[in-house]
Amino acid sequence: MTNEKKYGLFSAVIMGLGGAIGFEIFALLNYAYFDLAGPSMLSALFFCGIINLLTMLSYSELSAAIPEVGGEYTYTKVAFGGVIAFMAGCLRWLASIFGGALAAVVFVEQLGVLFSVFAPSIQDLVLANVSLLIIGLVVILIILAIRGVEEATTLIVGAFLTIFVIFLAMSVGYTLTPQNIVPEATGNSLVVFFATAAYLFPMFVGMRALVAGAPQIKNPGKNVPRALMITTVLLTAVYFAVAYVAVGAVPLGGEVTGSELPLLNIAASTILGPIGAILFALAGIFASVSSVGTAMSVQSSILGGMSRDGYLPNALQKAHKRFGTRYIAIIASSLFVIFFGTSGAVEFLGYAASFGSLLVFALVNLSLIQLRRKKPRLERPFKAPFYPLTPIAGIVMSVLLLTFPIVLNDVNASSALLSSLGMISIVLVTYYLRMVKREVDFNRLQVAVGGICFGAGVTVIAVAPLIVTSSLLVIIILVGLVSIIAGILNIFVSARKID
Amino acid sequence: MIKNRRILSTIVGIVQSLIGGAAAVLAVLLFFNILEVQTLFKLPLELLPLCLLVLVLFSVFSVINGVSLIREWWRID
Repeated sequence: MTNEKKYGLFSAVIMGLGGAIGFEIFALLNYAYFDLAGPSMLSALFFCGIINLLTMLSYSELSAAIPEVGGEYTYTKVAFGGVIAFMAGCLRWLASIFGGALAAVVFVEQLGVLFSVFAPSIQDLVLANVSLLIIGLVVILIILAIRGVEEATTLIVGAFLTIFVIFLAMSVGYTLTPQNIVPEATGNSLVVFFATAAYLFPMFVGMRALVAGAPQIKNPGKNVPRALMITTVLLTAVYFAVAYVAVGAVPLGGEVTGSELPLLNIAASTILGPIGAILFALAGIFASVSSVGTAMSVQSSILGGMSRDGYLPNALQKAHKRFGTRYIAIIASSLFVIFFGTSGAVEFLGYAASFGSLLVFALVNLSLIQLRRKKPRLERPFKAPFYPLTPIAGIVMSVLLLTFPIVLNDVNASSALLSSLGMISIVLVTYYLRMVKREVDFNRLQVAVGGICFGAGVTVIAVAPLIVTSSLLVIIILVGLVSIIAGILNIFVSARKID
Repeated sequence: MIKNRRILSTIVGIVQSLIGGAAAVLAVLLFFNILEVQTLFKLPLELLPLCLLVLVLFSVFSVINGVSLIREWWRID
């Protein structure tokens, strides 16, 4: 019999807040305020809270009915199995990679802010070596993650809330006049509003930590749904209040453009002086380090789980002989964090993390609908109210948020969405290569890939003369010819086996 | 005859895999603008995501097709 410690409602709320309150508030408010929506960013934050609440109702039902480790991956596996579960796992992993990379960028940014207060010469050194610092941070965290160092979540949440309370208390003496909080009812304003909500959404998704930790909570059927509701309300209130004060302290159209320092840091130094600047920079540093660490542990557990189920190579669940951690999965995921982190593209990473999470949220809502139909007798200690409106609203909202940044023609959003789609297609090909057992199916897959290469070759040769100059034309036509020949050879050999 | 086909497939498979690898490297160079590649190709910023997607997909399918070609023809006795 095991004597595993179980947590109560308070600890569950702390778990949810610990997962959600973090570096994102430092990274994402800037672009949302200065480049997208201005003060109506506040309404977008509130809207994010509502969408989060809708999906958290689905999470609550699923986590109470299936109190097993694995979160979204487990729910989609029970509801759909196969490729959908694999997709959910991969999307969650991707979102975590992009989130971890964003946290690494914020770490260096906040380090620069900290040194700008009392050692500007060191700040220049920091800004000149961003990539090196990101690699250094990730390598140190890889070592700590392999050694299995625990995180001090409660401490970090406590410190954060204290700093925010001081910030809010000191802002009382200031005249805050954030105008136009509600977006105008014009088409363009609404598109910008939804795009902003999509961009700010990663500020909420960390709450899923509570669902992942459901098996460790006492009476999860009651406590997890309650904790999810309380955390959502608290989180929305804290974010809204902090952003409200920041927007009031740093009006648009002034000297500040957001390109020098993050919004929250500017507001902190305006309201609290140099002490505020140091305090917030330290908070940003701790939050980002903690988030990179959490992202690495989440990534290794997702890869390990998918490897255990046979979706990925066995090597990924191999444990370290001394520390017992999945060191290959940790190192593999960290390489991606370094790759995307060194790009330093905050806006791209913000959207990419958001898109991955929104797709996972849509899949979770779909899983709820599927399970209600497929397993109506499943014991459900908590049921999402207003079914099926709640999960349908969650799906519609997620799709809206995915679509509007593209309608806005935001190049960062297009890059993020296309990169995510590209990675999803790689994921799907990997799945079929890994999971398709029967030789005849594998041959069909080979014929399909051969056909794609043949088509790509023909397209390249047809389009190249229209868009490429003569010096490159010969090379591109040769590439097209190789694709055509390789495609034909592959179709020829595989089609013969199918017959 | 089989020997000739095997040699042809192996060569085409290796060349296609290398092309796929080169496309992936070009995508990375473009993404991070290493060696000012974006300027070199006079690529508008708006087209960058599309180019990256095309390159990544082309790269993945080329490598898979190339490797499976090498694998298949080497299994023929």
